[in-house]
Amino acid sequence: MATSFKQIEENLKNEARKLLEDGRVSLVLAYSRGYDENHPVPFVAKITADVENIVFNEYCTANLARYLVRYPRGTKMAIAVKPADSRAVVQLIQEEKIKREDVLLLGIPVIGMKNSKTGEVIDSKTTCGLYNPVLYDVLLGEEIHGQPVVSPYDVLAEYEAMDQDARFAFWQKEFDKCIRCYACRKACPMCYCDPCFIDQNKPKWGEKSPESSGNLMYHLTRFHHLAGRCIDCGECSRACPVDIPLYLFHKKVAKECEEMFGQAAGKSIQDKPVLVNFRVDDSDKILE
Amino acid sequence: MSFEPKILGIACNWCTYTGADLAGTTRLQYPQNLRVVRVMCSSRINPSFIFRAFQLGADGVLVGGCHPGDCHYNTGNLYARRRLAVTKKILDFSGMEPGRFRVEWISASEGNKFAEVVTEFTQQIKNLGPQTKFKIVT
Repeated sequence: MATSFKQIEENLKNEARKLLEDGRVSLVLAYSRGYDENHPVPFVAKITADVENIVFNEYCTANLARYLVRYPRGTKMAIAVKPADSRAVVQLIQEEKIKREDVLLLGIPVIGMKNSKTGEVIDSKTTCGLYNPVLYDVLLGEEIHGQPVVSPYDVLAEYEAMDQDARFAFWQKEFDKCIRCYACRKACPMCYCDPCFIDQNKPKWGEKSPESSGNLMYHLTRFHHLAGRCIDCGECSRACPVDIPLYLFHKKVAKECEEMFGQAAGKSIQDKPVLVNFRVDDSDKILE
Repeated sequence: MSFEPKILGIACNWCTYTGADLAGTTRLQYPQNLRVVRVMCSSRINPSFIFRAFQLGADGVLVGGCHPGDCHYNTGNLYARRRLAVTKKILDFSGMEPGRFRVEWISASEGNKFAEVVTEFTQQIKNLGPQTKFKIVT
């Protein structure tokens, strides 16, 4: 049986207080109350008094790994990680954005997280579908046994079966909804480029106003930049105000990378990201 | 009037571009639809070049590099191979016809192969017809 959210919140507070008092970390990344219970916001506890503001409930879906890269190198940080977030941390360690010894992971096994927009339980098909963090120093609840029944890539079958024109029409319809608020980019733990390619003027890669061609360029290139790095938290699609199913494309690219290069993103800190790595015996078949 | 496709060729300086030179100096015939851009290495190619080319009206994109293991910079094309493989999958899943993007390894001594590949690829694009999906309509 999974530990209750109340219990996890209690454990998280205790652990955060202990770490801040001992001075082992200079900040703890967690959640606090937003404008109501159902909309928690990311929160940085820097002193012991801050700890009282920490909350954890089923709406705490935001991926906190996003905030790790904001602090100077060498800052000792503790972070509350859900399963997908822990993969994001592993991926950031692989990419040498943060060091393993600088970050302390407070793992949270979760089941039944809810989307704060709709209030419904998040379908595990839209995320990586793990119950337990892949890497943690302290586990704040009981490990959940078993695996979700679905493979993370099952949801793709329907779209892979479409013919080219139908699929293009589907994506064009979805991308045309985009209002270019860049919430997907802001929510993503892997989107840390400054400046983002789409914000550059020289060269100008695509239109910045929301219209078809610029939207296509932005999204396709973003999918490419996240190839082999996307850890499938699904936060981009949840952050999207117009509900573009971005997770589908990310899942597809992740699936292809896993099939071609035999490695999923964010599973082990010993791995190298697939696109900055190569094997001499990679087959030319992957290009066909 | 028959359809004459515009094809962007991105060729690596050390192998494919030299191969294209060889095809020229040996007076081999191949279609004029290919516009070649020279880059120093196939790993210089930013995948956005390819998306952008399609948006700006290319009907096909042909990327040429050294054979794996023969790269002038030792490992450049091995990175490019992985990267362009992902580009191909992305183009495919976004709904672009798979035949419009092609990667070929052509060495400096393979003028014949260069001419053959260009002839064949141009024919393939002619069969596919004009590319309208990504093209920006003004």
